[in-house]
Amino acid sequence: MSLFTMKNVRKTFAHGEVKEEILKGIDVTLPEGKITALTGASGSGKSTLLTIAAGLQTASDGQISFEQQELTSMRSEELRQIRAKQFGFIFQFAHLVPFLTVEEQLALMLETAESSLSKQEQKKEIRQVLELVDMWKRKNAYPPSLSGGEKQRVAVARAIIHSPKVLFADEPTASLDSKRSQEVMRLIQRLSKERHITVLMVTHDMDMLDYVDHVIEMRDGKIIQEDSIH
Amino acid sequence: MKMAWKEMKKNKLRYTILGSIVFLISLLTFIISGLANGLSQDNASLIKNLPDGTFYMEEEADETYSFSSLSEEQQQEITEAQPEAAFFSIQMRNFIDTSDKQRSVAYVAATNSSYYPQVNSGEVILDASLEEEGIAVGDEITNEQWDQPLTVAEFVNHEKFSHSAAAFINPDDFQALFHTDTMQIAFVADSVAQNSNEATAFEELQAFSNSEFLNTIPSYSAEQLSLNMIVIFLLVISGMLFAIFFYMINVQKLGIYGILKAIGVKTGKLFQMMWAQMFIISVISLILSALISQAFQLLAPGGMPFHLTWQATGRLSLVFIIIGFIGATLSGIQIKRVEPMQAIQQGEI
Repeated sequence: MSLFTMKNVRKTFAHGEVKEEILKGIDVTLPEGKITALTGASGSGKSTLLTIAAGLQTASDGQISFEQQELTSMRSEELRQIRAKQFGFIFQFAHLVPFLTVEEQLALMLETAESSLSKQEQKKEIRQVLELVDMWKRKNAYPPSLSGGEKQRVAVARAIIHSPKVLFADEPTASLDSKRSQEVMRLIQRLSKERHITVLMVTHDMDMLDYVDHVIEMRDGKIIQEDSIH
Repeated sequence: MKMAWKEMKKNKLRYTILGSIVFLISLLTFIISGLANGLSQDNASLIKNLPDGTFYMEEEADETYSFSSLSEEQQQEITEAQPEAAFFSIQMRNFIDTSDKQRSVAYVAATNSSYYPQVNSGEVILDASLEEEGIAVGDEITNEQWDQPLTVAEFVNHEKFSHSAAAFINPDDFQALFHTDTMQIAFVADSVAQNSNEATAFEELQAFSNSEFLNTIPSYSAEQLSLNMIVIFLLVISGMLFAIFFYMINVQKLGIYGILKAIGVKTGKLFQMMWAQMFIISVISLILSALISQAFQLLAPGGMPFHLTWQATGRLSLVFIIIGFIGATLSGIQIKRVEPMQAIQQGEI
């Protein structure tokens, strides 16, 4: 049984009396512990698919299963618990909490995930993850004083601190220059391998495909091609 | 709580402004409440100093004590049913002091009463406010209509009626000076009443509780109602202030709330954060207001009717916190409504 599957997922938006179908019956199975990239032109439905998979918006139809649990039939509180404990998120922008230090951003995520670690163990884990993303020396800095690349590395650290099973990344390198983009992708690749995290990532940057294992190409709300690269 | 405090520390100006406004409104509320209480004391401390009990006036007096006249028979009837009953009369008149200055006072005569000072014939006991105005023990006070002057025997604290100092005189002198042989009011304290569960009813007499009797004093209820309405308006304004301010703060933070919700933070935790901020701001502002209003009470000129107890301050503070809580919660409905997708699509916070 796969860790994460989507079957016949549809999404329709209504603009007055006009209905627009953004996703037209998507079937996806994420390879466990691998990085899957969703690519396609703007408006192809890839970001909508990612946010539906992550439980941030609902599908109009279809089934989404995570560890044999049906996400589409869950109550919002159950879905929140899954998001907090089992999923990690990296957005196009870092979206850090402006009044918390780098270290506190991660502590908040551990608290949200109801981590079973003791306070001491949490501190150790935060240090370990911040060292992994090379941000330990900036642990007391607030987001406004960080560069774009630093913010995104903290966002990556926040997304994996609670050891999620699935990491959702929506164009995680879009706000970064090419050098910083590659740094962040190498980091995601390393974390996915070391921590056995399944990653679903939306990207329109073809250079980023060097770091992924599996590519799904979308057009007009449908999957038109699916390839395993490595 | 920690997150709430962290945010306040990072946005000192924003929360200092809110705190300052809450401080000013609460200070104004405490001061007006102090004035309301002060005026209430000034108007009726003679009655307010009495223990809880039942007042009796003639039914025909139409709730006006000065028209009431309890005959010997009625006094007898009351005394038989309630042996500890006290009878007293009040007359608003003036007197001329040793410097020929006219002063308005409330003459009070009481029989069988431990609630008011007992006065020897030919003497008068005055409220201490008159001592501050230069009258001394041993002075003689007169009135054009009296044959004999009265000698000031002593002063007592906080005994005023209808914004005038009370002047306690002997019941016999009262009868002679005001040409009456009856008493106006009977009073039975609950603590000494027979069958204290229910006030004894007497024919042709109307019974009043302490607060009902206070409202029969001319101008008392109108004066208190006006001041209490100001206090209520200030409390409502403070609640609206909390609602508006937190609404504005929440609108600015919708992006953060959306992202926090996206990563799984409970909506309840976001509400707790807002409540904690409201509580911290309110408590700091209220402590400052309470201290300043108490200092004002100590430093206010002696003639200013201002009376604010710590208990009254505590009660008002509690109302402020409850209203602030309601205001902040109403504004927090947007937190419940915010969708993570809105924040993600909004871009960088």
